[in-house]
Amino acid sequence: MSADTVENTTFDGTMEVNTSTERFLTFSSNGLNIGVSTNYVIEIITNHMITMLPLVPDYVTGIINLRGQIIPIIDIRLRMGNPSIDNTSSTCIIVLNINSVQIGIIVDAVQQVMDIDQSQISPVPVENQQKLINGMVSSSDRSVILFLDCEQLVETF
Amino acid sequence: MDNMLEMYLYETNTLLEQLDELLIEAEKNKDFTTNDVNEIFRSMHTIKGSSAMMEFSTLMEIAHHIEDLFFYIRENGLDSMDESHKNDLFSLMFQSTDALRSEVEKIENDEPLSTNIDPIISNINSFLQKISTPEGGSSNSNSDSGEKTESAAPAADEQAIALINQELAGAPISDLPYFIRIFFEQGSGMEHLRAFMIVTALKDIELDFKFFPEDVETNGDTSETIIENGFYVALSSQEDIEKALRVIKEQNSVETYEVMENASLKQEKETHDSKKEAEETGEDAAKKNTTSAPAALNGAPAKKNTTSAPATHSNAPAKTSLISVSLSKLDSLVAIVGEIVITESMVTSSPDLQNLKLDNFLKSARQLRKLTDELQDIAMSLRMVPVSGTFQKMNRIVRDMKKKLNKDVRLTIVGENTEVDKTIVDSIGDPIMHIVRNSMDHGIEENVEDRIAAGKDPQGEIILSAAHTGSEVIISISDDGQGMDPDKILAKAERNGVLTKPASEYSQKEALGLLMLPGFSTNEEVTEFSGRGVGMDVVKKNVESVGGTISLSSEVGKGSCTTLKIPLTMAIADGMEISVGKSMFTIPIANIRQSFKAQKDEVILDSNGNEIIKCLDDFYPIIRVHELYNINTEITNIEDGILLWVETADKSYCLFVDELLGEQQVVVKPLPSFLSNFNIKNSGISGCTILGDGNISLILDIRTLYAAFYNQY
Repeated sequence: MSADTVENTTFDGTMEVNTSTERFLTFSSNGLNIGVSTNYVIEIITNHMITMLPLVPDYVTGIINLRGQIIPIIDIRLRMGNPSIDNTSSTCIIVLNINSVQIGIIVDAVQQVMDIDQSQISPVPVENQQKLINGMVSSSDRSVILFLDCEQLVETF
Repeated sequence: MDNMLEMYLYETNTLLEQLDELLIEAEKNKDFTTNDVNEIFRSMHTIKGSSAMMEFSTLMEIAHHIEDLFFYIRENGLDSMDESHKNDLFSLMFQSTDALRSEVEKIENDEPLSTNIDPIISNINSFLQKISTPEGGSSNSNSDSGEKTESAAPAADEQAIALINQELAGAPISDLPYFIRIFFEQGSGMEHLRAFMIVTALKDIELDFKFFPEDVETNGDTSETIIENGFYVALSSQEDIEKALRVIKEQNSVETYEVMENASLKQEKETHDSKKEAEETGEDAAKKNTTSAPAALNGAPAKKNTTSAPATHSNAPAKTSLISVSLSKLDSLVAIVGEIVITESMVTSSPDLQNLKLDNFLKSARQLRKLTDELQDIAMSLRMVPVSGTFQKMNRIVRDMKKKLNKDVRLTIVGENTEVDKTIVDSIGDPIMHIVRNSMDHGIEENVEDRIAAGKDPQGEIILSAAHTGSEVIISISDDGQGMDPDKILAKAERNGVLTKPASEYSQKEALGLLMLPGFSTNEEVTEFSGRGVGMDVVKKNVESVGGTISLSSEVGKGSCTTLKIPLTMAIADGMEISVGKSMFTIPIANIRQSFKAQKDEVILDSNGNEIIKCLDDFYPIIRVHELYNINTEITNIEDGILLWVETADKSYCLFVDELLGEQQVVVKPLPSFLSNFNIKNSGISGCTILGDGNISLILDIRTLYAAFYNQY
């Protein structure tokens, strides 16, 4: 997956591959561009039958059977306190492995894979601290990418 | 027998591998942790035990001495050794594990075990002496092992002789100089009649012979003697032996046979009889060397010659018939097979194919479905194994210990066909073995008189049972022996200094719990089987490693019972599929009493507005699954859906669901651990299962579902 999209990574003209660059998969959710480190990403799936679970918070959509493995699915919109929308053709599930906890997140659409220099990532301003976001970077075309705090996603409550 | 040998080899090799890893790691850190010491001690204990069972005495000796060494180290603490001692210990341990491994290799290659293990044992002993001499006070275990050295030296020779003597002990008394000892294939059944067939066949060629047991034709009980000691045919001359062997070779289900000289007769000859006869014996022996079958005269000067034409194939462990596959590979196989099943149904029911007339395609698709179904069945069954293998192993242990300890005990096995996940079977083998040994050794009374005095059957009984309950496999090992005396346990615990509060404050249950602390043993003497208190703590550790629990119960004079409760991680259960709205659930069949349609006027409301219905003269609450779980369904009228009367240990109630979909065997899978954040265990769901079409069905836990229902208010 990442190999196919290497051409996308030339967005800032330089293609330095050094230790400070990390590869991120970006997706959109409720109009925001969010990136997640590809180290966590296992795969992207679409059209999966989700089995709902009773008596759980609404953002826990349910569980899916991914090749015999049971993986819990959360809706990233609801998790961030945004309203949910009906599935569209671009809606998909990104399956992540975060410290050996597997979890799937429902996102509006997957965008691209890009290399981002970690020194460019700036912390989220304290005054508008957002849940689940631990950094942001502005890309060349003036759009802003937020970074998903994966550890917080699977944290115990 | 082959099977047991394979298990033994596999187990011992695994243990040695683990031991090596541990040693290498420990050497890196230049120190042993207490855990390491316990671990080595346990491994050696297991190797000692199973080697003794398989009668590989050299392995047993080596393991036994290492165990002694680590027993000392454990008792005296690691601090009693200085740096150089530790270095010596490392090299000694590597040397010992190498020795063990080379012995195991010899077994694998069907070579005789080495008879001279003295160097390694004296190394171990001298090391033990070295580390124990500085402090003269604690020479207990030292002198203990010193004695063992002395006895160990000539042990090899003595053992060989003892073995032969023991074998001959089972041999009948006869005045004929030669025996042919015949063993039938294991489990062939009706051994006495098979023996009789040999007798008739031998009579046909007009041989002069005798046979033992003599009443094989009429007495069915002789089967057991034949299984244990073999069937003996006594013959008078070398020529007769050859004739007889020709006949015996043709018989069905003869596994091995050996030709033996009558030891008692030979002794007599050698000592009392005239020179001439002695020469004759010599001649006999010489003749034997030249004339008997070229197959195998191993020329051993012993009194036994083995002619083992079929034996060569039966003794060589069938190394290739079993391979160990890593569970992760199995898991991915199961996962991929699951995927294939889903993809198959996606392909065959593809909307693109609708309204097309595809006769050939449908035919092939049906074939494909059949094959994928089979594939799935096999993949699923790979991980599931019945516990019978583990249970059967206990038969052998009970039998051996029965002889050694001279106690009359029978082992009753219940539910051996219960299927359990492979990982669970692996982890319960050792615990069960330890518990059975404990029961044999400490549980059953020493003297038959004690049992008779207590009004019990003179024959002791150990019951080993396995059963599935809703969400657990319960394995219990109970004996009808003397039981465990909490006071004795407390007294011993006090002496060992493991009590954390005054002895009088311990309840009976807590006292029994003390048995499971490392290094605790109520038996004063250390025996080959048990008595060092490694048993119960190994048991606890192994059971807990698969998420199980262990409980002991005991009544003085009546016996004791050890119960292992192990959660079904992947056990197969019978379930009833039900639907509520678009969701599917599985209810364990074991929990369902009845399903029925209810009329509106049968439902009564209690003061809180909860629905109640009367079944068989009792009133039970109705829990509507769609309301409890907030599921949208069109079936809300009590007359449209169906009621399931369910029951667990203490709760009984009715569930209102939309529809019954049918009964199915399901593989129980745990829910992802992430979901335990949401207290899912208390919402009435114990796990889930993947249905044939790839959909997930949640498994309802009848007990917690009731609690979830009442916690809502």
